[in-house]
Amino acid sequence: ASISQQEALEALQAARAGEGAASVTALELLQKEEGFRSIVTFSSQLDDALGGGIPVGKVSEICGAPGVGKTQLCLQLAVDVQVPQCFGGLGGQVIFVDTEGSFQLQRVTDLAGAAVRHCSLLAEDEEQRVAMTTFSVETILSNIFLVRCHDYVELLAELHLLPDFLRGRPKLRLLVIDSVAFPFLRLHDDLSQRTRLLQGLGLQLIATATGHNIAVVITNHMSTRLRGGQSQLVPALGDIWGHAASIRLLLRWEESRRLASIVKSPGHMDATVQYQITCEGFRDADQSEQLQRKKP
Amino acid sequence: MSWDHLQLKPQIISAVQRAQLKSVREVLCVSGPDLQKMTGLSRSDVQELLHAAATASRTHQPVTALQLQRGECHRLESGLRLGTGCPVLDQLLRGGLPVGGVTELSGESGAGKTQLGLQLCLSVQYPVEHRGLSSGALYICTEDPFPIKRLQQLISEQSVLRSDVPRSLISGLQFSDHIYIEHTADLDSLQVCLLRRAPLLLARGLVRIIVIDSVAALFRCEFQPDDWLERNKQLLTFSSMLHNLSQEFTTPILCINQVTDVFNQSANSLSSSSSSVCPALGLAWANQVMVRLMMRRLQGKVFLGDQSSALRRLEVVFAPHLARNSQDIGVWREGLRAVLDRD
Repeated sequence: ASISQQEALEALQAARAGEGAASVTALELLQKEEGFRSIVTFSSQLDDALGGGIPVGKVSEICGAPGVGKTQLCLQLAVDVQVPQCFGGLGGQVIFVDTEGSFQLQRVTDLAGAAVRHCSLLAEDEEQRVAMTTFSVETILSNIFLVRCHDYVELLAELHLLPDFLRGRPKLRLLVIDSVAFPFLRLHDDLSQRTRLLQGLGLQLIATATGHNIAVVITNHMSTRLRGGQSQLVPALGDIWGHAASIRLLLRWEESRRLASIVKSPGHMDATVQYQITCEGFRDADQSEQLQRKKP
Repeated sequence: MSWDHLQLKPQIISAVQRAQLKSVREVLCVSGPDLQKMTGLSRSDVQELLHAAATASRTHQPVTALQLQRGECHRLESGLRLGTGCPVLDQLLRGGLPVGGVTELSGESGAGKTQLGLQLCLSVQYPVEHRGLSSGALYICTEDPFPIKRLQQLISEQSVLRSDVPRSLISGLQFSDHIYIEHTADLDSLQVCLLRRAPLLLARGLVRIIVIDSVAALFRCEFQPDDWLERNKQLLTFSSMLHNLSQEFTTPILCINQVTDVFNQSANSLSSSSSSVCPALGLAWANQVMVRLMMRRLQGKVFLGDQSSALRRLEVVFAPHLARNSQDIGVWREGLRAVLDRD
């Protein structure tokens, strides 16, 4: 992540104008600002590879085979966006659009409880201890807005109504759609209409992310594509849809390991990290099984 | 379609009618600029139209997860699970089958899949406090005839399996009366059953679980390898029907599936399994399933009283709320039961 020259100047001016012995360096201010620009995943390896976490103001896509952890990561982000600012989080709310029925309250409660325990252990100063009084499983659940969409028309309708919903809620920092693939793959009898609708949807999501300064996270399935007799595993919904997101996370299995790769451009993998799903949620893999490699 | 109830300006309504848009769904499927072209309305009028159409087609307002937990929205989350009849298996599944969603159970022949299907047709009939849903079952057979003798044996042994339930309650339940059996030999007749018979039974509250035994049979023999695209389309249509039924009637649907051999282990980035078999029907089907379970037959025997059984294992392959885990089980006269201590 980088800031413009204007923002750098402002940061320096703010630092100079600061009173008292405890002055803040421009670097610290910069780091503090950057902290508000991403949502941590609770996998420090993945957060590092992403430059802090899932970026606010952008559209991120999570692709992967069934069961690899797409919904788990979405649920984790829905909890992590709420981490109080004094712990480095955004203290925000989330709207979770569920098209598959995979939003299970039991699991969300697991993740919320684990996040509360995690922050409780970290709480050092008075500000953090006070913040913990309003960061509980109950408040976490109260800040997750759930919408269930049963087909692509309902999904499109929800997105039309989103600006109204966002208007009254300045704390809303995350929109999750799990998944975009499920309802749209059913529209297989008119592929040109599907492409048009997806293009419009992509533009709408980008506008929502930038216009309202929220992180938009969408999940996608994998499809098999036949190319000259060979079958390849590719993200579903076609090539045009691939341009909607600025970051694509590809989750996959390698034997018994779960790997997350960041794909910024087709065929180019920036970094791959290993992760695991525990009863507490999305986490770094155990130290003994670390696998981290960068591909050129 | 009567546009009047959308409370739009008369000029918008007449423009919509002139453009021959017949429903809110049609309006929503057209982009803003295209709508402007079609109706000749201004940008702000089109936004008003889309807003009204969206509000009309929305089924519910966003609710918070806290409201769900407090039981304020039964349609979205009732917290209900359908128990299997064995408390240890229910623990593996954190209560049992989720009532909104498709659960798949795959495995080789003889693994015990039908046994679990039958057992669920009985457990559904118990009241909610005994982890049932106080309703009957629809069992759709697509290959082998319904195992009626085995069902009768299970019914007669229910008091042995369900020692947690008062005998008087068990003897009061007329199990066979509430199990509706259908035989569908091909995809067309299965679809007719799902589109006509199933909704009737569900709407009348006569049935609150659908078991399809098995899904693989229909899709494997009807399509040649070249028809792979066509088969996937049919799978998606079929899965749509299942999901619609499941959501509309908050009913669990159990799809029994077969397994196919895995040839190229190293290229398999779709699952963590190192086994030599995987569920049939491929990735397109796998993407439609919310809970994937597998039943395996293992080496060895287990004993319970005077009975012996080949050892099996029920495995959670994936589910949004379950950890990857497994439980050893045996198949007994009274049904499937977890095996805790092994000889």
